[in-house]
Amino acid sequence: MNQTDNLIRRLAAGCVGTASLPSPQRRMLSWFAASIPYVALVVLVMSPRPDLFDKVMDTRFVIEQSGALLTALTAAMAAFCATIPGLPTWRLLLPLAPLALWVGSLGQGCLSALFERGTAALKLMPDLICFPAILMVSLLPAILMITMLRRGAPLMPKITVAYGALAATALGNFGLRLFHPQDASLMVLVWQFGTVVILTAFASLFGRRLLRWRHVAAT
Amino acid sequence: MAVRGGTRRARPAGPTTTVPRMHASKRTDVTETADRLHRELMHAAQAGDGDAYERLLRDIVPLLRRYVRWRQGRWSREEIEDVVQDIIVSVHVARATYDPRRPLRPWLLAIARNRVADAARRTAQRSAHETAVDPLPETFSRTETNLHGETRAEILLMKRAIEGLSENQRRAIELLKLQELSLKEASAATGLSVPALKVTVHRAIKSLRATFGRGTP
Repeated sequence: MNQTDNLIRRLAAGCVGTASLPSPQRRMLSWFAASIPYVALVVLVMSPRPDLFDKVMDTRFVIEQSGALLTALTAAMAAFCATIPGLPTWRLLLPLAPLALWVGSLGQGCLSALFERGTAALKLMPDLICFPAILMVSLLPAILMITMLRRGAPLMPKITVAYGALAATALGNFGLRLFHPQDASLMVLVWQFGTVVILTAFASLFGRRLLRWRHVAAT
Repeated sequence: MAVRGGTRRARPAGPTTTVPRMHASKRTDVTETADRLHRELMHAAQAGDGDAYERLLRDIVPLLRRYVRWRQGRWSREEIEDVVQDIIVSVHVARATYDPRRPLRPWLLAIARNRVADAARRTAQRSAHETAVDPLPETFSRTETNLHGETRAEILLMKRAIEGLSENQRRAIELLKLQELSLKEASAATGLSVPALKVTVHRAIKSLRATFGRGTP
């Protein structure tokens, strides 16, 4: 009991003003606002695909890109919510809807190609550039995300980091498709969405290392 | 309330058991007024008011003790107090995540639940690596009669090695390894911070290893 009293006295004596963190929505917007110039810069450096203007008019492309972008935004929101104690857990389910839209549109594209071209549409070609390209586009958003997440409470480190990684890699995939002319749904599903899944799963393994309760003496 | 993976939930049995009233909507002992007061105190603490912060922490400690006892009724008093201290430190670390427009209790309980689950996980991991063994036969209470493997030379070597340590290192080894105090307790006893203690012990052990390395053929 005395030790608890001592601890309270020490904490109160060292109490300094701390601003409340902004709401998860605002943090998500800040993250997006800081990340999007980098994504745009990478797209410019890699040179945008020549048919970009035509693709913007293509409904399927727009739906798939909207799915990726909305997944990035809602996953970022969920990650920030996960670091605020006491918030309702339904917010963690927010990314599922745009994720379903994204995967659903890619799946529907695969089925359409199958009906139109038969089994030839299922031929998978190697497109290994997707992995390093998505990694490159999502690098800075991921670093930014982890830095911001570390300011919150590490209540669910693995889930939080998984959502943060999903946000960064989905944004990376969004950027990739602006300079990488690969639109075959199966190819996008396997090589691009597959990269997103692998990177997200890999990052979540490091959740407990990246986000942990820091002892007061170290802060 | 959901229990996270790996956490064993142990409800205390018996007529004396009391479920924390902060979990029962109709029997809450922290009234709306008290919660409003706590919110104001936390708001003031976020602005740097140490007195308000101390009052808030003192107010929530009994609630935390009851909560931890309710979640892990089989834990000893010391274990419960350790977890309560963990929760208080976590509250301190995470105080920027509190939004004064929201009630304090859900925020506080989410942290408490997390720290209890972490402590339960640690306990489960520790016990998974422990094997129950029969106590060694004891002849007399004096230490010398209960030394089985150690030779006199080894004892002398250890004694000399410990004497060769700096004052801080000797004290850290004594408190943490011989008396088996926790880092927090040792920190309180020595005035050294926890990271400093960890470094001191690490260096002391390294030094002891070096001494033994030299001393053994």
